[in-house]
Amino acid sequence: MSDLLEVGDLHVHHGKRPIVDGVDLALARGEALGLAGESGCGKTTTALALMKLLPASLEQSGRVTLRLEGAEEPINIEKRTEAGMQLVRWRHISLIFQGAMNSLDPVQRIERQFAEAIRLHEPEARSDDVRERIAELLRTVGLTPGLGRRYAHQLSGGQRQRVMIALALACRPSLVIADEPTTALDVVMQAQVLQLLERLREELGLALILISHDLGVLAETCDRIAVMYAGRIVESGPVERVFATPQHPYTKLLLDSLPVIGGERGLAPPIPGGPPDPSDPPPGCRFNPRCPFAAERCSAEDPALREVAPWQAAACHFAPWSEWPATTGAEAGSAR
Amino acid sequence: MAGDDGRRSGVGAMSESPLMETRDVAVQFRVRRGTTRAIDGVSLEWRPGEILGVVGESGCGKSTLARALLGLQETAGGDVVLHGAKVAGKRDFRELRRRVQMIFQDPYQTLNPRQRVRAIVTEPQIVQDVAREEHEGRVQRALVDVGLEPDQYLERYPHQLSGGQRQRVAIAAALVLEPEGLICDEPVSMLDTSVRAQILTVLLSLQRSRGLGLIFITHDLSLAWSLCDRIAVMYLGRIVEEGSARDVIERPRHPYTQALVDAIPVPTPGGGGARELLSGELPDATDVPTGCRFHPRCPKRFEPCDRVDPELYPVGGVAQKAACLLHAPAQGRGADV
Repeated sequence: MSDLLEVGDLHVHHGKRPIVDGVDLALARGEALGLAGESGCGKTTTALALMKLLPASLEQSGRVTLRLEGAEEPINIEKRTEAGMQLVRWRHISLIFQGAMNSLDPVQRIERQFAEAIRLHEPEARSDDVRERIAELLRTVGLTPGLGRRYAHQLSGGQRQRVMIALALACRPSLVIADEPTTALDVVMQAQVLQLLERLREELGLALILISHDLGVLAETCDRIAVMYAGRIVESGPVERVFATPQHPYTKLLLDSLPVIGGERGLAPPIPGGPPDPSDPPPGCRFNPRCPFAAERCSAEDPALREVAPWQAAACHFAPWSEWPATTGAEAGSAR
Repeated sequence: MAGDDGRRSGVGAMSESPLMETRDVAVQFRVRRGTTRAIDGVSLEWRPGEILGVVGESGCGKSTLARALLGLQETAGGDVVLHGAKVAGKRDFRELRRRVQMIFQDPYQTLNPRQRVRAIVTEPQIVQDVAREEHEGRVQRALVDVGLEPDQYLERYPHQLSGGQRQRVAIAAALVLEPEGLICDEPVSMLDTSVRAQILTVLLSLQRSRGLGLIFITHDLSLAWSLCDRIAVMYLGRIVEEGSARDVIERPRHPYTQALVDAIPVPTPGGGGARELLSGELPDATDVPTGCRFHPRCPKRFEPCDRVDPELYPVGGVAQKAACLLHAPAQGRGADV
């Protein structure tokens, strides 16, 4: 069966400066894909491009194809006009973004905001049905329907985040993109929200793109993971494989920096420096100036993302790595 | 412990007398519906050179506690103690704020956007009357210590710095008074993985090289586990568990700590397993539950929990304590959890 979403050679430019530089993605129905990477790597830009929600100053190119179940023709998002996109957004793909809980309308009751979202796509819906749908949506995310009568400021942060998730589900989309949905939340609330997303995925057959810089969150929630660096995907594969046997030095170092409770305490040596500006990447491999394993070739040739193990791809000249050489303790603490 | 060694005990010496203590400190806010008990009787010790973690959900009072420690927050009761001597009055707190500094989550909000790095790092010395001829040398030293090349950064403005560099400047400004302690309120929660590791490395090397005591206020339990010597867990204005980092996180005794630890995302696929999550949210501190304040959410509550307010009882680990009736000596149910 063909994939729900296919992204081919996605580029996003700001004038002449690339921000996303050739991203390919595929997502099956009901699958959860994690998009990892540090801020500025292009993960949010990628997500917005999938919904054509980029600000006018950014230009996108590349294929974004959505194949809905039962539909004869795929939806070619890249060819859609703004009017055409309005039929897709919320109805087929919806977005929960970071700090979304602060984007509820402060002067309208919660239920009114739901009704608007539902009516946008089903103008004919009867009031009774709409009311029933809202109650059901609120129950789905573990809130009592009575909460619909309230205003946003009368809800706690966790409740607001749940309302946003329910809103994203209002039109029964096939794909939900969640951009750092739990970053502003505490551990307990974060675990509750992640468990909720997982349950919804099971119950509604929802596909999910989860964007997070927290690899722990992705490990728990996703089937597959793609790691982005400076506007590109540098590694992708099934979560178990990528976590057990990372094939890109960047992934490897990110994973090493995670504390494993019960193991050795202390700090792993930080990756020196910071990520480059995607519009002005270093020559060769974009990670080479920070890579402890870099060789001469790495600053000369740009490695392509290629399959280096079953289902697992990495953009590194030396992949597959069967064994990682010991790092010589990355230089610590420098701001360069 | 009180009274001995009121003067500096030599920075870095791991003397037994605490750098700071709170004794039954309370902080209250008047609100329309009554009184919010933001801090409700907290006694805590912070030893010289020690890295102490204060963890809990947002709203549990951990940041308020930090502010109370520095006299930035008026207390409704209890004492703040510096090297065994009670801190009272403006002069004492001014002296305290020279010896103990604080950095915040978002350095962009605390750095004056119109000041250059040089002015930002110099200013605390003016406020605290450090001799003028020392200023330049101390600024240089502080910047070097946080890994910023003075020549490159002295003349920059905050907007010309990255998030990590701004946090380094904030740390440098705190260091310039050569404090004995640094209270860090969520110092890295806004930073990316690689930058946060760099900032933490800076803080740890300062702890080692200067014998600086650190308090990490954070909701990130794995961070607290990896860096802290001791951890205190707060819930609704109280400390509900404290002990060594390993004991508290690897062998938590309070059901609340157990639930927090259980909620940490595990960086092993499938490692989270089927966990039982705490239901509900942190109650409003205006309306603290009777008895044990955690009982309405507690999966292990039993008969007296809604009536009896537990103290911190000694439990398994070295100097580990938990405020849970399961561990109360008289309950006869101790030690089975």
